[in-house]
Order: sequence, then structure tokens, then C-alpha cells
Amino acid sequence: MQAKLPGRIIFRTYLRSFALQGSWNFERLQGLGALYVMTPVLKYYFQGTDRLKAFRRHLGYFNTHPFLAPSLLGTAIHYEAGIAAGTGTSDNFDAYRQMVMAPYAAMGDALFWGGLRPLAAAMALLLAAGESPWAPVLFLLVFNLPHLWFRWNGLFLGCRKGFDAIEVIQKMRLPDLAVRLKEGTVILLGGFCAYLISIELGARSLSLLWAFACLPAIYLLGWLARKGVSTLLLVWIVVALTTMTIEMAF
Amino acid sequence: MPWLELLLAGMVAMLTGLDRMALMQMMISRPIVAAPLTGLVLGDLQSGLAIGLMMELLWLTRIPVGAAIPPDDTQVAVGATTLVVVFGSLWHYSGAGFMVLALLVAMPLGKAGQWLDHLARSQNSRLQKRAEQVLAAGDSSRLEQLHWQGVAHFAFAALITYLVIVSLGGLGLYFLSPVFLAPLEDAGGWLRLVFPICGIAVMLSSMNISRALTLFSTSFLMATLLLWLT
Repeated sequence: MQAKLPGRIIFRTYLRSFALQGSWNFERLQGLGALYVMTPVLKYYFQGTDRLKAFRRHLGYFNTHPFLAPSLLGTAIHYEAGIAAGTGTSDNFDAYRQMVMAPYAAMGDALFWGGLRPLAAAMALLLAAGESPWAPVLFLLVFNLPHLWFRWNGLFLGCRKGFDAIEVIQKMRLPDLAVRLKEGTVILLGGFCAYLISIELGARSLSLLWAFACLPAIYLLGWLARKGVSTLLLVWIVVALTTMTIEMAF
Repeated sequence: MPWLELLLAGMVAMLTGLDRMALMQMMISRPIVAAPLTGLVLGDLQSGLAIGLMMELLWLTRIPVGAAIPPDDTQVAVGATTLVVVFGSLWHYSGAGFMVLALLVAMPLGKAGQWLDHLARSQNSRLQKRAEQVLAAGDSSRLEQLHWQGVAHFAFAALITYLVIVSLGGLGLYFLSPVFLAPLEDAGGWLRLVFPICGIAVMLSSMNISRALTLFSTSFLMATLLLWLT
């Protein structure tokens, strides 16, 4: 029985984790993708009918946040190593997977989609407002340094700690971090909005104090959005109103 | 017709479209990256940057949770940049008004992206079933190939969405520009503000944190005062 997994197999698994959602489907979501990511490991550990059995263990329903999936699949690697070595049974990983997929998904959604992505966007937009071509570069760096770190370390965490990985991730208090990031985003957006309006007012030699008039307008738009007016309709209405106002004023 | 430019932008559309869901998710699919990238490929980075700024916040909080499919802001960004740069130089239109009109036309066409994405995912269900069948029959040789077929479905959906936006959007611009360009051009700079400001309003209304409005308003007022003083 092979014991230690070679580094190149772990690295291939890491690379394959970027294609986890390639065959996303309404039946099993990332199911086939999870098997695709696990394939090099399973091929290394198992031969013949054992390999087919191992493949079948990983073709079921799989759905979690793509950036936290490597830590869950790392746990799967830890578990498969146990089976290859002749320890562990086949039903406890499935129970573990069923248990952690949803909380991992919720944490990842809040942290990466709800927290980090808007924060990176707000930072980049401040640069873009000054017409800096570095805006997209900054966005990609701010988003991807934590993203890539998380995937890589998550995979190792799962491989090393096995079923205890979730405790380490729980201790990171990711939902709290997500709230902090959101607060930072809102503060940056306030500055971005003021800066953007000041550029336009300056270009027309108008007093900056007119910017204060925009704040009630933003509240009103936010209220309409909350009432269920779609973003597309909102943009169309405001563009039409602004154009008509300016046509009549000048 | 500048076919080479359209082809190059189509390749950007496919690459960034795959990043949305199927591959990487390094967020080159976000308008703030996808639009300048398209602009760079077409030789007009600044137009791409301006469109990225206008688009980025609009659907930012519509997140891809589970089976939810947000409007395709990637293809709207790539398509609108292509419309502005390629058709703008073809018909000698430029400026903020044309950019705004291109986005207003491209945005509703982003719906096509949602439908095609849905279609790709339904097609992938057949791949999943096929994988389960072959594995049950004891054949594991085609599993990886089936997975990559799914990626091909997503790439195809992205490319078709791009083609829909550029063709229907181009047609729309051709007929709408003579009528709407003059008034939009007058309002130009103000209209460019409408997009990020609507985006911010939508974000504030959907953020589930307490004090979001207070934090935003305080920051906005402080920044305005600072800018006024300097």
C-alpha cells in the first residue's frame, strides 16, 4: 500500500480544482467536477475494481463554494489514503461531506462573493475613476491573493487534518471577517461616489456643494431597488429623467 | 466589417465567460477586468476602462449561489466595449453619449446569457447521467472527457451570448443612434454617473449589514467636504 502522496499529484489536484465547476449541472451540481479533481489521487491509490469503487464514491451530489472545495477534497484525499492503507470505512466520509458542504458554501459565499469581491471592486473603481489603467490589476491582486492562498492552504489543511479540518476553518471566524470587509466596502463606496461626482461637477465649474443633493437621490434609488424595481429598469428610468432634465434646462 | 477585431473580442468573450463559472473563477469575468481587457485587445483601453467602471457595480451583489444564474454582466461588458470601439469607429461615433447608448442597448441582451447559461447546465445534466452510466458499466476511461465537454458547453454559451449582444446590439445602435445620440451626448458626463450611482444604491439596499447607510453617508459627506476644502 502506498502511504505518502507525491507532491506532483497534490499539485495536479490543486490545478484541477480550478475546473471543479466545468461540468456544473442541475442533477448533481459539481458532482462530476469533484470526481474530475479527485481522479489523479484515486488513480494513484487504487487499481482495477478498487479504482472503480473509489470513482463511484466521488460521483455523487457535490455542491460547495469553489474556493472552500479544496479543503473538503483534501479531507477526501486523507480519507482515501486511509482506505488505501486498509483503515477507515466507506460511509463516514459521505456523512462528513453531507454535513460540511452547506456551511462551507455559506461561509465562502459570504466571504468571497459578499465581502472580498465588492471590496476589491471598490478599491479598483477608485483608481478607475482617475482613469488609471492599473484598476483591473489592483482588482485581480486584491481578490486573487486571498483566493489562491485559500485554495492551496485549504487543500493541505484537508490532507493533513482530515475530518478535523472543519474545526480549523471554524476557528478562522470567516463570517465575522466578511462583515468587516462589507463595512470597509461601504466606506470606500462613499468616497468613490463623492470623488466621481466631484469630477463631473468640477468639469462643469459647478460648486462641489451640489454633491449633497445626490445623497437623497441615492436613498430614493436604494428604496426603489428594495421595493423590487430591477437594476435595468432603474438605470433606464434615471437615464431618461436625467436626459430630459438637461434637455429642458439648457 | 472589421472581422478580425470581432473575432479577437469573441476570444476574450469566451475566455472571460469561462471564468464566470466553469474555469478558474479568478474574476477576469468581472466588468472592471473584462471590459478593459476587450478594450486593450481592440486598441482602446480607456473606453474599456470607462465601460468597466459603469458596469461593475450594477449586478455585483447578484451572486452565483447554487443554481441561481445572475445576468451576464461579463458578456454585456465585453459586448458593449466591442460595440463602442468597433462600431464607433465604423460609423464615426464616439464620446460618452454613444457609450451610454451602447450599454443601454447591451444590458437587456444580457438576458440571453442567462438563458444560454441555463441551457449549458441542462446539457451538462446529460453528461452527469452518462458518467454515472459508464461508471456503473465498469468503464472509467471517458469520465474526464465528459467533464471537459461541460466546459465546452459553457464556452459555447458565452460565445453565442457575445454574438447576440454584438449583432442585435449593433442593429439596435444603427437605428437608435440617429435619434437618441444628440440628447444623450448633451447629458454625456452626467449619464456616465448614473450607472455607478444606481449600482451603489442597489448594493446598499441589498447589503445585510447594520449601519450600511450610516457608514456610506458619513464617508460620502466627509469625502465631499475634504474635496471641497482642497
